[in-house]
Amino acid sequence: MTQPKFLILSGDGINCERETARAVELAGGSAEIVHVNDLIDAPEKLKIADGLTIPGGFSFGDELGSGQILALKIRHKLGDAFFDMVRAQKPVIGICNGFQVLMKMGLLPYPEGDERVAALAANESGAFIDRWVGLDVNTDSVCKWTEGLNTLRLPIRHGEGRVVFSDDSVYETLKNNGQIPLTYTEDVNGSHGRIAGLTDPTGMVLGLMPHPEAFVHRGTDAAPQRDIAEKGDGILLFENIIRVMRGHEKTPSPAKVGEGEARVAGG
Amino acid sequence: MKTQRIEIKNKTADRRLEKWAEEARGHLGVALQDLEGVKVYKIVANDTLPDVFSDPVLQDIYHAATDYGFSEVPSYVVDVSFRPGVTDNPARAAEEALALAGCTATVASGDLYFLFGNVDAEGARKIALELLANDLIQKADVYAYADFMALDRFGDVHLPTVQIVTPAQAGVQKQGSMNSRNDVSEISLDLSDADLEDMSRTRLLALSLNEILHIKSYFKQQGRNPTDVELEILAQSWSEHCKHKIFAADIDYTGPGGEKKKISSLYKTYIKKATRDIEKQRGIDWLVSVFSDNAGIVRFDDKLDVCIKVETHNTPSALDPYGGALTGILGVNRDILGAGMGARPVANMDVFCFAPPDMPDKDEAQYMPQGVKPPRRILEGVHKGVEDGGNKSGIPTVNGAFFFDRDYAGKPLVFVGTVGVLPPVLPDGRKSAEKTPSTGDRVYMVGGAIGADGIHGATFSSIELDESSPATAVQIGDPLTQKRVTDFLMEARDLGLYSAITDNGAGGLSSSVGEMATMTNGAEIDLALCPVKYPGLKPWELMISESQERMTLAVPPQHKAAFEKLARQRGVVATDIGVFKDDGLLTVLYDGAQVAEMPLDFIHDSLPPLQLQAEWAGGRSRAAWSATSKINPRTQPVPEKVTDALLALLQTPNITSKEKWVRAYDHEVQAATHMKPFTGVENDGPSDAGVIWLKPHAGGDKTGVAIGCGMAPRLSPVDPYLMAQYAVDEAVRNVVAAGGDPDMLCLLDNFCWPDPVVSAKNPDGAYKMGQLVRTCEGLYDICTVYGAPLVSGKDSMKNDFRGKDKRGEKIDISILPTLLMTAMAKTTVGIAPGSAFKQAGDVIYLVGGAGAGLVGSEYAALFQKPSPSGRGLGEGAYCAPDIDMPANMTLYRNLHAAMRNGLLQSIHDVSEGGMLVALAESCIGGRLGAQINVDGDHAFFFNEAAGRFVVSVLPENAEVFEKVMGEVKLGTVADSSKLVVSGESVALNELVQVWKMGF
Repeated sequence: MTQPKFLILSGDGINCERETARAVELAGGSAEIVHVNDLIDAPEKLKIADGLTIPGGFSFGDELGSGQILALKIRHKLGDAFFDMVRAQKPVIGICNGFQVLMKMGLLPYPEGDERVAALAANESGAFIDRWVGLDVNTDSVCKWTEGLNTLRLPIRHGEGRVVFSDDSVYETLKNNGQIPLTYTEDVNGSHGRIAGLTDPTGMVLGLMPHPEAFVHRGTDAAPQRDIAEKGDGILLFENIIRVMRGHEKTPSPAKVGEGEARVAGG
Repeated sequence: MKTQRIEIKNKTADRRLEKWAEEARGHLGVALQDLEGVKVYKIVANDTLPDVFSDPVLQDIYHAATDYGFSEVPSYVVDVSFRPGVTDNPARAAEEALALAGCTATVASGDLYFLFGNVDAEGARKIALELLANDLIQKADVYAYADFMALDRFGDVHLPTVQIVTPAQAGVQKQGSMNSRNDVSEISLDLSDADLEDMSRTRLLALSLNEILHIKSYFKQQGRNPTDVELEILAQSWSEHCKHKIFAADIDYTGPGGEKKKISSLYKTYIKKATRDIEKQRGIDWLVSVFSDNAGIVRFDDKLDVCIKVETHNTPSALDPYGGALTGILGVNRDILGAGMGARPVANMDVFCFAPPDMPDKDEAQYMPQGVKPPRRILEGVHKGVEDGGNKSGIPTVNGAFFFDRDYAGKPLVFVGTVGVLPPVLPDGRKSAEKTPSTGDRVYMVGGAIGADGIHGATFSSIELDESSPATAVQIGDPLTQKRVTDFLMEARDLGLYSAITDNGAGGLSSSVGEMATMTNGAEIDLALCPVKYPGLKPWELMISESQERMTLAVPPQHKAAFEKLARQRGVVATDIGVFKDDGLLTVLYDGAQVAEMPLDFIHDSLPPLQLQAEWAGGRSRAAWSATSKINPRTQPVPEKVTDALLALLQTPNITSKEKWVRAYDHEVQAATHMKPFTGVENDGPSDAGVIWLKPHAGGDKTGVAIGCGMAPRLSPVDPYLMAQYAVDEAVRNVVAAGGDPDMLCLLDNFCWPDPVVSAKNPDGAYKMGQLVRTCEGLYDICTVYGAPLVSGKDSMKNDFRGKDKRGEKIDISILPTLLMTAMAKTTVGIAPGSAFKQAGDVIYLVGGAGAGLVGSEYAALFQKPSPSGRGLGEGAYCAPDIDMPANMTLYRNLHAAMRNGLLQSIHDVSEGGMLVALAESCIGGRLGAQINVDGDHAFFFNEAAGRFVVSVLPENAEVFEKVMGEVKLGTVADSSKLVVSGESVALNELVQVWKMGF
């Protein structure tokens, strides 16, 4: 798996597919932007792919609650093909609206749970906000995407990013399970425990409100920088998961050994 | 079929409602304690309803009446629903959601609001109409709580249905017919002049008597009467909005010294000529397409072309601020989609001109115009529209401005702009800038269906507002549909599936097909093929409706199947409605029967130019709205201390931080925004312009485009020539400060004018026309000296309110003549240091000179009433200075070179509030103090003369900088946490706190 292949979901109001594909490619993966309707017609793509991203945006215009209708569409039209991918512990990332979709599908925080215990509610301010935030990475988290990282600086751009739980015990459980990989360094939207991202118990599914794909180069930093081609913090999450995926490769085919090792060592 | 109702209530408080409650207590003066909201869906469905509507963690769902667990008893209930035919996005989405879950349904959405506290019926109605609903598009029923609870609302459910009644048609039309085919009327023009004018007015045609007589003589030659379809096509095509007759007019101009000249078309004489002259003089080769398309296309990069368009959406925003702004931004996005063979929108910008947000105060309320929303409502609605339009479409809003002045109270100005990118060459080798339709290509309408919404938008915006304006000119946009259309078109373009594209904007199919037809010299469409939102629309309505989210394309017959298949796969409606021909005619059928046929040259080229009078003999004072209107001037006594003046200026709506508003716009989606609206250590200092990096859009590694704007409407009554130049210079300064190359810079002009055609109701028309001529002269002169071509522009000419105030007195409010200039420059990403100071010890310079004059400045508006007469007034320090254009250009080139060499630590343009405000903003951005060693009077610190910046430089570079630039050293950046100036000192904290107060 020298170049793991990610599907990048698009269509129906998803907006960030192009920059998410770029982030995956810059991190060493390959990316195929696939319209959700095309994926419904060819669900086997999910079997072939190594990972999936559900990018940010305003799927279905956020009507009936952000992520709600895309979640319904995936559940009803992709169904098992999608859940099989999660069961196979292939990496899945939902960014912003993608996180909202994963929550509405009930995939986060517990994919096997029957009842919904968590949701993303309107920001406490009642307003959409675009700003940069500091993030603490929980080093005890099971999350594979954030393994080895300490802090990150990324933009948030959302109106419904406040994590709420059906009751406080859910928070305690998730904390104990290491399912809270990312928290804001300050209160930005009223999120419970300042949660910015959640992972499933396997650590392969990550949902987060901040936008890592928006900061792959310093050229898009919060304020203008001169070293525009240098890496931004966002790329680290993608590099991380690709490193993990390469590590998972049990016996690489002989032809690929040299290249694979070189890449792992270098990356 | 079962009709049912569900209600959904959030479990947690809604901050938005809390804000509204605050406002009801504030300016509405209603003792509203609290406000609670409930979402309503009314559903007609065959099957059992799957629960797609709510999230159990966040919401409760109700299928029967309940008290919702309120701890107190509400006093009133407001039930808000859309009027029939108004775009209902939540309902359409709910239908899709239900379909996904296997249930076919028709849905309508609405909102219930529960009013708590000691509110009476009148107060409840006030809240309903001024806060919760817009009467033009929504129905708001107000109930006492007990009465509401007594309703059988879950049993007796009705969805709104459209019943078409068009007032303009009443009496002309056969009654009761629902069959469109029979609904074409012949219109006899054999009427007296007065009756013809009357017909133009009642049918909302906005045609002048001369224009109707021109039509009359054409049809007399043809030996027949026009159909209503033909008359409407001509009215749209010849509307001021579409035809820009005033900019094309023959003008008799009398200048300041009594000199007379004849101008044949301001557009050709000044605008187009400026660009052509610059092209010739400079030999520039980067103008790919100007003046001929939906947007100007330029080449700043080998790999990627950039196009740009700025529009206004004033009238719709006045009537429904949210819907007007939303359809405005989506509309200008479509201009980009329709530029060349279709460009991808990559950045939005927006500029608002409104009455002050604190207007009206208690005394002023009675003088405000009837039928126009209060300034605060307009501000909030427009802002929300721009927010949703940009954010939901995934287009970053990177630049903009708010400008407040009382004379925008009758008509707000909403400028919306979009930048797009397109590859110079498409995958199949065709040039992306060229549309190449052929005879035989099919005419496709793509996107939304047609409804009665948006009928007469083009003609309506070509007349002035009064208190009884029609609701059909108002629409709500649907960003989801347009996003799907955008995604689809980008794919179809790269697959080579179409040969031409344009947007369906003002005038609807009449304009889009009518204009595209000129490319092959003919087209024939059948209106019965068009998808409609509901039955009953007459052919003329189908032809001119401006229903949103539609594009018109030419599709070669061999690509028909592939084009339609891709559209289906992307959830986009694409309909073959006709064929491009070469017979010189625009032919319109309804179900095979001809309902209109006119030669294209008659439609487009036969109208003789208007003959207009213009005079300019110096400035005049601004007119009061009426003899008895008393509007609070919002001025203060002039303070003694410089720092007190500074603190007061930092709080004015024009200068204070707009962060609260701007952060609601996504300004970095698409991950290519290099310079964002805010900068500095706490990311709250103002940026001068937005910069989009082209590399993430497949452009060059370091290429960017800087986008900035400028305007100076307060100079319009003083000297419009200077006004134009100040506007241009500010736009240029802003992009230069953002790293823009002054030699790779283009401009867009957007004129918003009060009616400049002299008439009985508009006696000073010639003066306003004179202002327009002077503005064009100023524009031409500065553009040609700066070598900056105009690549696109638009004008909106009837920005007046002629109606009644709240007392019922007649009032006239004309906007300040307003020219918005937008600049777009090539930049090398990474060279601009931003506006914030970087470190203590850096040397601060004022470059571009000390400036002079306070006329038209924010200082003059806040502290003293500027004397009303012309430019000559206030000799000396009070006079607004001319611009030394060649010197400015040299300065901009030098500054650009200094930035490339990394010499600057910060750069901030001097504009509203003058030098000291700019300097304070650099302090705020860097959270650093400053020691200023140069002293002067208030005019020195606060004049807004053009061509100036506050910059900072590392001490070790100071010598080099001074040698090259020879500029005035103001002082140094300090970490003392205070700004020391003129022997006074003000704490940095206070500057931050005061500036960030906002509104």
